[in-house]
Amino acid sequence: MSRAAGTNEPTTDTPPADIAKSSKAVGEPLVTVENLTKRFPIKKGIVFQREVAAVHAVEDVSFSIFPGETLGLVGESGCGKSTTARVLLKLIEPTSGRITFEGEDITNLNKRQMRPMRRQAQMMFQDPYASLNPRQTIGQIIGAPFRIHKTPGEPKQKVQELMERVGLNPEHYNRYAHEFSGGQRQRIGVARALALRPKLIVCDEPVSALDVSIQAQVLNLFEDLQEEFGLTYLFISHDLGVVRHISDRIAVMYLGHVVEVATADELYENPKHPYTAALLSAVPKGKVGTQVTTRTVLTGDVPSPVNPPSGCPFHPRCPKARQVAGGEGVPENCRDELPPLGEVVDNHHAACWYPVEETEELARAAHA
Amino acid sequence: MTQIGEPILEVKDLKVHFPTPDGVVKAVDGLTFTVQRGETFGIVGESGSGKSVTCLTALGLIKRESAQISGEVLFEGHDLLKLSNEDLRPIRGKALSMIFQDPFACLHPFYRVGDQIVEAIQCHDSCDKKEARNRTVGLLDAVGIPQPDDRFRDYPHQFSGGMRQRAMIAMALAHNPSLLIADEPTTALDVTVQAQILELIDHIKQEFNIGVILITHDLGVVADVAQSVMVMYAGRAVEYGSREEVFSGPLHPYTWGLLESIPNIDRRGARLVPIEGAPPSLIRVPPGCSFNPRCPHRFDPCDKDVPELLDRGGGHPEACHLRIEDKKRLWNEREAGRVAEVAS
Repeated sequence: MSRAAGTNEPTTDTPPADIAKSSKAVGEPLVTVENLTKRFPIKKGIVFQREVAAVHAVEDVSFSIFPGETLGLVGESGCGKSTTARVLLKLIEPTSGRITFEGEDITNLNKRQMRPMRRQAQMMFQDPYASLNPRQTIGQIIGAPFRIHKTPGEPKQKVQELMERVGLNPEHYNRYAHEFSGGQRQRIGVARALALRPKLIVCDEPVSALDVSIQAQVLNLFEDLQEEFGLTYLFISHDLGVVRHISDRIAVMYLGHVVEVATADELYENPKHPYTAALLSAVPKGKVGTQVTTRTVLTGDVPSPVNPPSGCPFHPRCPKARQVAGGEGVPENCRDELPPLGEVVDNHHAACWYPVEETEELARAAHA
Repeated sequence: MTQIGEPILEVKDLKVHFPTPDGVVKAVDGLTFTVQRGETFGIVGESGSGKSVTCLTALGLIKRESAQISGEVLFEGHDLLKLSNEDLRPIRGKALSMIFQDPFACLHPFYRVGDQIVEAIQCHDSCDKKEARNRTVGLLDAVGIPQPDDRFRDYPHQFSGGMRQRAMIAMALAHNPSLLIADEPTTALDVTVQAQILELIDHIKQEFNIGVILITHDLGVVADVAQSVMVMYAGRAVEYGSREEVFSGPLHPYTWGLLESIPNIDRRGARLVPIEGAPPSLIRVPPGCSFNPRCPHRFDPCDKDVPELLDRGGGHPEACHLRIEDKKRLWNEREAGRVAEVAS
C-alpha cells in the first residue's frame, strides 16, 4: 500500500488477507478488496464536460472478510464507509482496485455476469422508511428476490417462513409497509436480505434510525441469524457502542482511508491510531463518575475529500503529531508521506508514523 | 457539581392533548418538574415520549387552537401558558431561547449567517446595525468559530454541521438568556463534533450561570453532562432525580430496560436485553401504568392504577407500583446477572 493509489498496479508489501485475523477467521476469505479506490468526478461545462476535480471517496482500501465473521466499519459521516460497501457489492463501479468474492475476481463483471453472485451477497439499508416500496405488500417485497432469481415453487410459503423467522406475524403477508413500525420495517429488510440464503450481508447503518430498546431487539436478531445460517456481515455504523457489540474485527476509516484494523477488543482497549483514540474518547460513556476532562476533543472539522491533505489525511487535526513536533506544527513525514497500514503489534494494523502507546494520554496535548 | 441556584422554570401538571380524527393524542400527560439556575436538566426518552412537545409548549410554539393545554409553566414570575403571543414575544428568544435538532433546517439558506444573527439581536434590542454586527462577531468568536470577521459574511451552506450548530448557539445566546432549551442538539452530528458541542454548552452554562434543558434520546450524553435527569415514557415522567441517583440506583423497570439495551463501549458485552414489544400509541395508552404491557415485573395493580410520580423511600421520585425493597433487589439481581455473564 504505497502511494501508488489510483493505479492498477498490485502492491505486494502486505497481503491483505492476513490483516488482523480474528479467532473466527479461518480458511479462505469470503471477500477480499485490494487497493480499492473510488473517485467521483466533478465536471464543469455544458457540452464539453471536463473533469475539474474529484471527490476522493475511497482511497486505496484493502481488507478481507472471512466466512462467519462480522467486520465492523466505523468512521464519521463522509469518510467513505457506505461507498466502500457499495463498491464492494458493485452497486458502484470502482475507479481502480480488485474485488474478489469466494476466490473469483468480480471487478470487471457486467450486470448479467454479476447475477449469480448477487444471490450470495445482499444488502440492508439504513432508512426503514425509504428502503421499502410503499405500493407493494410485504409479501411482494420479501418475495421479490425469489421472482428475480426465478426460484422454482411458490414463494408464499417461503416468505411466511422468513417472516416468522425474523419475528413478524406471517398473517401480515398482505399488509403494506406503512402499517409497520420502524423496528418491524427493519425486520422486513432483514427477511428480504435473507430470502436467498446469502453468504454475505452488507448492513449499512441498519439500527441507526431505531430507538435504543428496539435497536437491542434487532441487534439480537442479527446475532441469532448469524449463528443459525452461518452468515458473514459487513456492518457499517457510526455508533461505536453498537459496532463493538456486534463485530469480531473492526476497520476504522477516515477521509477514504482505512487507518486502523484490529479485533474488536484490541481496538477498543488499545487504539493505536490517534484518530481512533480521539473517536473513542469522544463517545459519552453513559456512566456516572467518568471525567469529561479526559476527553480528547478534536479541533476543527473533517477536511474536504475534494482536496484532501497531503501525507497522512489526519495530520491537520492530529494531537499526537503536534505532541511529537513539540507544539510547533507537525513532523515532516506526517505532512508529506502517507503512512502505510502496517502491523504495529500482533494482528493490529494502523496507518500512523507515530502510533499511540498504551499508557499515553492524548487529552493534554489536544487541549494545549 | 456546579452551584445550584434558585429555580428558573417550574412546570406543574402540564398536559398537552391533541384532538385528531382518530382520537385524542395524549402527548404530555401530567408532567411536573423544576429546572434550576446553573444546572443541566436532561430529559430522556424514546421517540414519541413527549420530550419535545413539553419544551415547544413551554415556548408557546404549539398552536393553542390545535391542542388542549392545561397546567402551569412558571418562568420568571410569569405563567407562560397564560401569556398572549404579544406578551410572550419579549421573553421568547431573549430570556428563554432554544436550539433545535437539525442545524441544516434552522438557518435560512438565502441569508448570510451573520445577518441572521444580527436580525435576532435587533429583534429585541434597538441598537444600530454596526453595534449589532460587532456583537455578532463577538458571539461567533465566543462559540468557537474561527475568523469570525470573515465567517460573518458566509452563507449557511459554507458552514459544516458542527459550525451551523455553533451559529445556532450563538444566536440563542444573543440576549444572555437565563434558560437555554437544547432539543437533541447533537443527534445530527458525528461523535467528535458532538463532544465539541456538548463541551461548548457546558462551558456556556458555567460562564453565564444559566439553566439548560437538554432533550436527548442518548442516555450516554445525559450521564455525561446533566445534573438532573427525568426519564419519560408515553407522555409521563417515570423517574426523576439527580444523575447519580438515576444512573447508579435506577428504580423504574423502564429505566432498567433502557440502560440494559445500550451496547457498552467499554466491553464486548454479552447478549443485549431488549425491552419486549414497542412503545404504545399515544391515542390508546394502556390503562394503569403505561409501561405495564412491556414490563417483566408487572403484577396486580399495574394495569388498573396509574402509579404516581413520588418518592417511595428510594431517595428520588419514580412511578412504579413495586415495593422499594423489591426494586432494589431486582436491580441488584439484574446487575449481578450482567457481571456474571460478562465474566463467563
